[in-house]
Parts: sequence; C-alpha cells; structure tokens
Amino acid sequence: MTKRKLLAGLGLGLVTALALSGCSAPAGDGKVTLQLVESLTSPARTELLTKLIGEFEAQNPDINVDLISPPTDQADQKIQQMLQSGSGVDVLEVRDLTVGPFSANGWLSDMTTEFDGWDGWDSLTPNAQSVATAGGKMYFVPYGFYGISLFYRTDMVKDAGFDGAPVSWDDIVEQATAIQDPAANQYGYAFRGGKNGYTNAVLAISAYVAGDIDVTNAYRLKNGDSIFSAPEALDAMDTYLTLFKQASPPSSVAWGYPEMVEGFTNGSTGFLLQDPEVIAAVSESKAITAEQWNTAPMLVGPSGKAIQPLATAGWGTAEASEHKAESARLIQFLNSGDASIEFTQKNSLVPILTGAADDPFYKTGAWASYLYMNENPDVYITAEQPRGVAWFTEWADKADTELQQVLIGQMTNKELLASWDSYWAEKWAAE
Amino acid sequence: MSPQKTTRRRSFSTRRGLVIAAFMAPAAVFVALFTYYPMLAGSQMAFRNWNLNNLSNTDWVGLGNFQKIFADPNFYVILGNSVLWVVASIVPQFIIGFALALWLRRKFVFRGLYQALIFFPWAISGFLIGILFRWMFNGEFGVINDLLMKAGLIDTAIPWLAEPGTAMTAVIIANTWYGVTFFAIMILAALQSVPDEVYEAAALDGSGKVRTLFSITIPYISTTLALTVLLRVIWIFNFPDIIWAMTGGGPANQTHIITTWMISITQRGDYGQASALGLIVVAILLVFSAFYLMAIREKKGARS
Repeated sequence: MTKRKLLAGLGLGLVTALALSGCSAPAGDGKVTLQLVESLTSPARTELLTKLIGEFEAQNPDINVDLISPPTDQADQKIQQMLQSGSGVDVLEVRDLTVGPFSANGWLSDMTTEFDGWDGWDSLTPNAQSVATAGGKMYFVPYGFYGISLFYRTDMVKDAGFDGAPVSWDDIVEQATAIQDPAANQYGYAFRGGKNGYTNAVLAISAYVAGDIDVTNAYRLKNGDSIFSAPEALDAMDTYLTLFKQASPPSSVAWGYPEMVEGFTNGSTGFLLQDPEVIAAVSESKAITAEQWNTAPMLVGPSGKAIQPLATAGWGTAEASEHKAESARLIQFLNSGDASIEFTQKNSLVPILTGAADDPFYKTGAWASYLYMNENPDVYITAEQPRGVAWFTEWADKADTELQQVLIGQMTNKELLASWDSYWAEKWAAE
Repeated sequence: MSPQKTTRRRSFSTRRGLVIAAFMAPAAVFVALFTYYPMLAGSQMAFRNWNLNNLSNTDWVGLGNFQKIFADPNFYVILGNSVLWVVASIVPQFIIGFALALWLRRKFVFRGLYQALIFFPWAISGFLIGILFRWMFNGEFGVINDLLMKAGLIDTAIPWLAEPGTAMTAVIIANTWYGVTFFAIMILAALQSVPDEVYEAAALDGSGKVRTLFSITIPYISTTLALTVLLRVIWIFNFPDIIWAMTGGGPANQTHIITTWMISITQRGDYGQASALGLIVVAILLVFSAFYLMAIREKKGARS
C-alpha cells in the first residue's frame, strides 16, 4: 500500500512538473522580456548583437531581451511561421524583401506612434528616414544599407596593360576579356548566374537607362514604362551576355553568392560586383594580399551614370507584440549612437547616421569607393528598387530562371526583356 | 466442439483484441496527431489560394492550383526529369551495390573495416553530400575536372553544373555514390540468409560462379531484391536533398524533380500550389507503395 502511494505521489509530481514546465515563468521581478529574432544570422553578428543587447539591458533594467538566431537560409521562413502563429516575436529583423509580404499579412506593427518624438530621428540620413517612413507607415527602421561596388584585382589589371579599374560596362568587358586565361585557371569576371543572378543583370540595365530612371522605383522609367522596355536595355543585356561568354568562368551559369566570393578570394577571377560585406571576406583571403585588390565605384552606362540600388534591412515590431513601447526603445537603441556605428562598421554596412560616413574607417582602402560614390550622387544615382512588393520573391524566381535560359541558349535577350517587361506591366496595371 | 467452448474462445479472442488495441492506442494517437492530422490540415491548402506573400485572401479555389500545375509546361519536363532521376540512379546503385555485397560476403582480412568504410556515406546527410559534390563538380576549382585532366581523359574543364545534360549527370553520379551503400547493406543481409549447403550442392554439381549467381543466389533473394528496389524507387523519387544542394534545380529548371520544384514553389511563398504538388507526389507514391505492399505479402506467403 505504501509502495502504491509512493508511486502515485511520484506520478502526480511528474505530471505536475511536466504541466508547469509548459507554462512560462511569471514575471515576478516586473521585468518585460522581449523576443528579438534576427534573419541574416552569422556567428560573429550574433555575438555582436548579444553584446549590444547586454548594453541595452544595462541601460534599461526593466527589460530583458532574448535573442533568437535561426540559421540564415531558414530564418525568414522561421520568422514567417512565428509571425503567423501570433506569438513569440516582439522585435524582428525586417528586410526590404520581406517588408511587403509581412506588412500585407498584417504581421508588422506601424511604429509611427512609438517613434513620435524620438530624439534620434534627426541623426538619420535622408535615405534612412525615407525608407523608415515608406508608404506613410513605419514598418521598420533600417540599420544600414548594402551598396554595390566593383572588387578588382589591381595586379591582374596592370598585367593586362590597363592603367586602372574599369569605369563602364564596356570597360569591364574589355579588361575582363584581356585577363581571361582558362588554361591558367584565370578568369575575368566572377559572373553570377545562379541564385539572385538577375540582380546583376538589372544593375547593367539600370546603368544603361540611368538618365531616364524613376528614382522612387528603379524598375520604372520616368515615362511610366518598365526599364526592361527601353531600347538601351537590349544594349545592356548584349554587353552583359558578352561579359559572360568571353570573360567569365563557363560554370558561372550556376554560381551563386558563395561561388562568386570564393572565385575572387581564391584568386581566380579578376572582378566581382558585390556588397561591402565581402570586404571582410576578401581581407581574410590567404590567396591574395592586401596589395593585390581594391574596390572601384559601380560601372556606369553609356551616359556616364550608374544606379545604386538601395538595398536595406532593419528592425521592426510584430503586430502581435504586447510590448510595443519597449520594443521601440530597443530599436531606437540599436539604431542610434555608438551601437549603430559599431553595428554598421562590423557588418560592413553603409551607415544610417549622418556624419558616420566621415569616420576614417570609411575613408580608407576598400571603403574609399563608397565615399567617392556618395560624393558624386549625380553620377551614382541612388534609386529604390520595388523590393517591398508582395510578389518580389516570385519575380526573383522567374527572373533567375529566365536569365539562366539566356545563358544556356534557350532564350534570347530580346525575349527575356519582353518577358520581364510584360511581367511588371501586368503587375503595375493590377495594382 | 461444444457451444460453451466456442463462446469462451470468442470472448477470449475479443479480450485479446481489446488488450492489443489498448497497447497500440498510444502509438496510434501519436501517428494520427503528428502524421495524419498535419497531412490533412496541409492538404486543404491545396484547394485554397494560400500564398504567404498575401494572406488577405485565402479563398477556396477548388482544383485551381492543380490546373495551374498541369497547365505549366515545366511540370512535364520536371516529371520526365523525375523518372530519369529515379531510373538512372537505381540501375547503377543496384549493380554496384550487388557487386559490393558479393565482395563483402567473402571472408578476407579487414572485412569489418571495409564494411564500415563502405557504409559510411549512408550516415551523412544528403544535403551535406550535395554541398560536397557541388564543390567537387565545380567547373573551375572542382577536383573532378582536375582528376579527369590529370588522367588525360579531358583537355578542357567541363562546366558540369552549368549545362542541363552534364548537371543531370552530376546529380545522378552523386546520388549513385550515396545510394550504393543502401543496396549493399540490404543485399549483403539477404546473401547471408542463403544456406551454405545450397552452394555446396551447386559446387558438387559443377556449377560455375556465373551460373550459381543466376540460378541460385538471385532467385533465392529475389523477393528482397524486389522489395529493396521498390523501397528505393519511393525514396529516390521523394529525395530532393542532393539536387537542391548541388544545383537548386538549375540551370533553368533543367535538373528539377518534382520535390525540388515543390521546395522552390514553397520558397516563393505559394503554399497552395506547393501543397497541390505535394498531393500529386502522394498519389504517385501510393502506386509504388501498393506494389511494395503486394511484394511484402508475396514474401510472407512464400515464407509460410
């Protein structure tokens, strides 16, 4: 009997313990706990965020922050699932690619009220302010910008008989062709034909139509047509295809981000168009020394201009969060003062704070080209791509597939541009 | 038999059935909760306009998602790719796996070590193998081209993953390497069930190695072979890991099989269409499963 009672007691205790373990601990200390989910995760970045969160918690003893860092390739899907379930997220990393679908589904909070009167607002650059208030709502505040520049091998360019880095798309075809030597495993341009390969094709097209582009929608001309309908777009694509055929590794049809960066950092390609985050990766290369590479401004089109797409990401608050005021405080902390400067510098981002770009950090070496572009906004025109629309993922998928069809000879440039033009014309007509 | 005895036997049988059902119940509840409920809940998405990019309108669209799939010319190319993927992977896997199993059945020094080394790939994730082979087949820095060039088999590097034909060949080679192990394990287990006396009798009759293989070994383990092939057909058809990691279905959709295409559609947020495709996959696999169950029944019949 005693044994039975003991077993019953143990069983009851176990069930109670299991039941209680499913409930969250009551906030007996009166603290608010925020769940922060990041998307573009990396170990170094997570470490930095953890450090910044520690500083925030020290300044805000009434708030705890739990950082959730899913693996990068699944992060956006995880965030989607968490948002859809309506719990578990207060602050989240919102990308220009995800803000459209997330806000269309009512998952993001408009933070206008919480940010009203924020003293850090005036420190933000006009670009950051513009992105933060797009469409009249504040779904996220950017933490930095991704800008494109041309990574190039100074030694290869010199050996091929050129004085300096290419300035235009025509120049790069000429220089990359001169550098190309497959027998020596040396290639001109680290071509992007795989995932997101369409982005570089769009860069070329944008440069060719730069004078007529609508800067509020970089896929549109000032006359309302898509950039893909312009006659110059065909010239751009012909140049781009030439760059692939005569100056790129043949297997780059399948190259995505890792292969491109590897192609440049292992010393086998002469040129690479990429975000500044690659600066850190190239700096750590054992195959090329600091003297062998540099960056140059973006390639211009025949009119002497280029379009710098405004790619960005930032922090937003979930609509379902019960701690919107505290979430806003965390975002304001991350996006101002030393925290913001440290975050942008360590993640190789173009800063969001006015004057931060004057820091010597951005004036030397590989960063100098970004400064040069900033100082010449008439040549390097900043334009906002429509990356926030709900169908952008569908577009990226279609554009990548069709670009690959061109590269393997299943489609012509003319057919590609007609397809892209009609796609955007139909979408805009349906808006 | 008296009526009382019959009634007692029946009530014993009912009691026994209830006891078995009671023991089975927890497992059945788990399977229902974690397998069938998600399946049914997910299936209804196939009949709705369920796009994660815009959930403001998740209306019932009936067979609309299926119509979209059948109207897409890519579907038929991808269906063809799926058949090619299964057949071209199974055949070499079977032949090489069989040969390895025959070799491993013999007694020789370090047989245990060889077995461990050969079975090792089966322990690695398919996605990881895909990433490994993606770099090995890289046209510029890959070890495959390097080896072929050093062996004098090619003069210029082959851009393996950049052209539809070579990309499909590359993913099938990777899958073959991965799947050989499974065949080797299964066939080796079956070979060890063949009694030595049968071989001794065959040897006494003067049967040669080839004749013994085709007249004794293969007929003796034929049901296991059939089951293994059917099981692999189901798995390979449903196995996107290697292709997804190596080519992502490219170039230009040319290495997509149905399940990688489904991932691609899911990634762009169209859960409705992806679920419809999932149901099509289930329908196709049900056919193979039916054959598999029939083969199992035949095996049981043969035993009894």
